[in-house]
Amino acid sequence: MNARVDTLEAACDLRFGQVGMACVRVRRADAAALCDELERRVRAAPQMFSRAAVVLDLSHLSALPDDGTVDALLEAIRSAGMLPVGLAYGTAATEELATRMGLPLIAKFRAAYEPVGGEAQPMPAAAAPVPAVSTAPAREPIHEESAAAHTAMRHAAGAVRSGQQVYARDRDLVVNAAVANGAEVIADGSIHVYGSLRGRAMAGAQGDTSARIYCTDFHAELVAIAGHYRVFEQIPADLEGQAVQCWLEGEKLLIARL
Amino acid sequence: MAEIIVVTSGKGGVGKTTSSASLAVGLAQAGKKVAVIDFDVGLRNLDLIMGCERRVVYDFINVVQGEASLKQALIKDKRYDSLYVLAASQTRDKDALTQEGVEKVLDGLGTEGFEYVVCDSPAGIEKGAHLAMYFADHAVVVVNPEVSSVRDSDRILGLLASKTRRAERGEGPITQHLLLTRYNPTRVEAGEMLSVKDVEEILGIKVVGVIPESENVLAASNAGVPVILDENSFAGQAYTDVVSRLLGQERPLRFIEVQKKGFLKRVFGG
Repeated sequence: MNARVDTLEAACDLRFGQVGMACVRVRRADAAALCDELERRVRAAPQMFSRAAVVLDLSHLSALPDDGTVDALLEAIRSAGMLPVGLAYGTAATEELATRMGLPLIAKFRAAYEPVGGEAQPMPAAAAPVPAVSTAPAREPIHEESAAAHTAMRHAAGAVRSGQQVYARDRDLVVNAAVANGAEVIADGSIHVYGSLRGRAMAGAQGDTSARIYCTDFHAELVAIAGHYRVFEQIPADLEGQAVQCWLEGEKLLIARL
Repeated sequence: MAEIIVVTSGKGGVGKTTSSASLAVGLAQAGKKVAVIDFDVGLRNLDLIMGCERRVVYDFINVVQGEASLKQALIKDKRYDSLYVLAASQTRDKDALTQEGVEKVLDGLGTEGFEYVVCDSPAGIEKGAHLAMYFADHAVVVVNPEVSSVRDSDRILGLLASKTRRAERGEGPITQHLLLTRYNPTRVEAGEMLSVKDVEEILGIKVVGVIPESENVLAASNAGVPVILDENSFAGQAYTDVVSRLLGQERPLRFIEVQKKGFLKRVFGG
């Protein structure tokens, strides 16, 4: 390696990077059930899960379990064939627990993308967990209404440039300038663009199928509503540059001029 | 404090160094005290365009690392007394630049009485480009009338609005100027090139100038004479207009229509 040749180089670099990591979110402090469940997952997709590094997330339990239970849960994950590498951030109590266990606390990347009050709709209905509002970190806003009530809206003043991403959590998004090629606008509610939409627009990001996308000058690369998407290698001539709206009818994503 | 102007683009080969050199010379012609810094560490070019490559003793990295003083490293231009060049290092890489070091150099130039500092950014959006734009008050985003260049400029405009000291301190946005280079009206008319209007529409900001594609640019670069000094070339005249606009004067856009032979002089003479 060239690091050898150049002796002026430092011995190492400290670099930050993001890696995708599975998060085991425990709903019941039941080690045996957890082991069974994870074993099934590992068997079903060994390439994906066998010896996969995972983070244990206890924030969805109504109370933090004692050290013995946490040890049992960690052991359950190990015996299922996964490798627990840390605890997900929850509260100060979780932090103390992590210190006692000798495990790192791993901040939840993309915490802003997770609903506080409930799961996204496509997930199977499980026993409703106690909402984690009271134990959530203080910087997360507290939502009392269901995710479907998009009363307020987020307003993005100015153009959304290539490479930028704007996300309106639990609400509509209004952009009063252009969304450039390679930019992304995402909302849990509807999206309104008063300008050219040249990038990607994703409405109903948490599964709200009634969300819509409106724009005054349509050149989008991709539009999606509640996970149903359309890419435009060629924009239909009758839509290009027009004011359009997109909505979902059943499984079908429809687009029409306004 | 000196006004700091970054010349940047994202994409390589669009004319950043050519533009930096000409803008710096233009500002010096207007009587300002100007320093132009090459941030492209490892691929230094600005000294060639400025015609001072044989006079580089100490460079930017030497100053950043405290091995030379600013005074030792600044190369005085032979044509204008108020113009100085700070060359990049050819033997180091961009990791040798640090934010504190760059800040120290820029502060030093301010106390030396420089009115303008032109930062010639490297291509890309990594460390070198980031440091070149971080302390800027104004940005000149160089773009060619071509889709990939426009896309990269859009990305840079986004970074200028968020990844600069002004943005982080909430001191108001950095002033953004769009400079369209390598413009060929004939090819625009033939539909082979994006027009000024197309580029302005896609990026949502107005151009501060349009530099026509010209053989004189290449010749000037090879000769180590910034093209703005070639008063007979359209490219040189267009750069002079850009400098005037940057200094707050009104100048109509020239050289954006297809030229008709014969009465060129009358139309474009002044």
